[in-house]
Amino acid sequence: MATHEKVDVAIVGAGPSGSIFADVLARAGKKVVILEFGPDWDYKQFVSSAIWGKQLKHAPRFQLAGQHNPGHGSNAGWGTGGAMIHFFANFPRLHPSDFRVKSQYGKGLDWPISYDELSPYYDRIAEDIGVSGDAAQERRWYPVAKDYPMPPLKTFRAAEIFNDAFASRGIPLAPMPAAINSTAYKDRPACVNCGWCDVGCAIGAHATPLVGHLREARKRGAEVRPFSYVTRVLTNQSGDRVTGVEYYDAGREQHVQPAATVVLAAYSAENPRLMLNSATDKHPKGLSNRNELVGKFLMCHSNAAVWAMFDEDVQNHMGTAANQFMSYERYDKTWPKKGFGSIFLRTGSAMKPNVGIAGARPDLFGQPLADFMKRAVRGLTRVGIYGEEMPRAENRVELSSDKDEFGLPIARIIHGYDRDAIDSWDFGREEAFEIVKAAKPKEAWKGGGAAPGSAHLVGGTIMGTDASNSVTNSFGQTHELMNLYIAGAGLFPTEGSVNPTNTLMAVSLRGAEHMAKNWSAIAS
Amino acid sequence: MSSIERRAFMQGAAIGALAFTVGGVEVLLTPVEARAQGVPLKVLTADDVKTLDAVGEALVPGAREAGLSHFVDQQCSVPPHEALLSIRIANVRPPFVNFFRAALTEIDRQCNAKHGKPFAELTAGEQRDFISDMRQGKHPEWKGPPTQQAIYGNFRTSAVDVVYGTMKGAERLGVPYMALVPPKARW
Repeated sequence: MATHEKVDVAIVGAGPSGSIFADVLARAGKKVVILEFGPDWDYKQFVSSAIWGKQLKHAPRFQLAGQHNPGHGSNAGWGTGGAMIHFFANFPRLHPSDFRVKSQYGKGLDWPISYDELSPYYDRIAEDIGVSGDAAQERRWYPVAKDYPMPPLKTFRAAEIFNDAFASRGIPLAPMPAAINSTAYKDRPACVNCGWCDVGCAIGAHATPLVGHLREARKRGAEVRPFSYVTRVLTNQSGDRVTGVEYYDAGREQHVQPAATVVLAAYSAENPRLMLNSATDKHPKGLSNRNELVGKFLMCHSNAAVWAMFDEDVQNHMGTAANQFMSYERYDKTWPKKGFGSIFLRTGSAMKPNVGIAGARPDLFGQPLADFMKRAVRGLTRVGIYGEEMPRAENRVELSSDKDEFGLPIARIIHGYDRDAIDSWDFGREEAFEIVKAAKPKEAWKGGGAAPGSAHLVGGTIMGTDASNSVTNSFGQTHELMNLYIAGAGLFPTEGSVNPTNTLMAVSLRGAEHMAKNWSAIAS
Repeated sequence: MSSIERRAFMQGAAIGALAFTVGGVEVLLTPVEARAQGVPLKVLTADDVKTLDAVGEALVPGAREAGLSHFVDQQCSVPPHEALLSIRIANVRPPFVNFFRAALTEIDRQCNAKHGKPFAELTAGEQRDFISDMRQGKHPEWKGPPTQQAIYGNFRTSAVDVVYGTMKGAERLGVPYMALVPPKARW
């Protein structure tokens, strides 16, 4: 076993959250090491191929249980940049009501912070990484203090074709804020609308940690160790502080990295696994788990597409993986006439033949599939929805009896949507279907079956006011170990129904600055 | 994977090629080329290929010619984290060849039980009906894992990839490929 020199900060995971912590703390003069499970990517070598793009996704293996398994594979990150290197770059923010669900509706949970407290961090992230959008149009739904640094992305017929249909149902649209350059920004070029965002952007127009926080952190001395598989967080004998992490390298050699502070910024299902696998006699239930809340309140976004085939060329091969328009007009959690939860509407995006298009009719095979492909490559587009589920303790991560290659339990994910989530999703899908039909396509059909699909994985290490209701405080600092922080979407007590990346970055920036500002008290 | 190995691999990916062994020497070929040259398979057997090609072709016309079996064979022979198969994100435990072997064995077992012949020897209509039932999980005596739907979904994705996920595939559909990093070969 190799034991390294002690560092100030050991970060597990080089995705957006870990990269923000690395950047902020490296700027503060701290010695930072990032341990990344996957490879160290060079974005300039990303190949425009949805076949090759599969290499950017390599989820850890989980034991899945419960009625509705989360589709974790497509959402997980692997390698430097994490999931952000293949995310669609939709960059909406949570609505103010999402932070006060319990207070406002008597269901779910409250965040320990308000929208207003997080708002400045949304603005700073937009400026840091470059976000394109139109804040003025979003202000009809929630306050946005600062305009985005770039105008919205170019739109295409695949989205515009629904504009009148949305209007006919009284639903205003706004450009989807996107973490993609609509113009040259800082040292990165404007997007060329090739539509390959989700297999990695080789020009760096797509905002990822590889061209943002991680790059900046490295400039300031942060060290990235790829192919480092962290197995445990270590604690001192008295059990009141973490002392570092234990990990294996690509050659299966075991290492110990001592550190004054540890940040767990891995996937939402992996952070709980690490905490549970790090149990000691002082922490018999796992780290910061005295009240058995680690792993609880896991959530997914329910997901559906409603498809439309037109006779005209809707230019679906161009643009971005990011949607072109969005609407919060159906976001009120009581809008669905059945169920409960917000509905986020979005439309228009680039689709490649072997992913979006072939996936639009998964029931087709043989000659009918070949015929469909010919029509769809020019005429297919969609309206999508995300729905929301309330946090429930029974949706959780726990340790499996199944082991990884090093003999440690893998994570067992137990997840199912409740009736409210299924009904509100179904109601939202019907609304999307009405919108699509109003656009008068040649064919229209609802994607998915009787139960929702899923996107994103949030919760599991939620923040709250104290240890009785949460794992961490509002900065991600664990209640029981002051030098152990959690970063990422796992902190969310509620999920809204929007893509989580903007919020997880804003929360991470706030947490990282808290650690830097209170360094003496935390690290000593 | 070291940075040098990864660079070599990515250069291979950039030209749409994969590493195949020909006469003891590793060369970069597209699956179409590998099939055309009769490159020896690494992990799949001749019977596996017969069934995989037939299922692939029934799922996505053109899959056999596009080198589906060579694609799957090559991808099952590389370290799991380098594989370009959909099962890498489908919570399947490596080695991935086990998934394909189990699936192909069960498909032929089912066909032999019902029709007295393997899948590749069924009529086009029988093949279509078999796959339709498999998609819906309707074969009553199925012995998995993998499940019928997992096989349908993952076999279909790999077949779609080799037929439609290439520059040649886009050209056949008459849609611009829009490559930012243009593959040099039409894989």
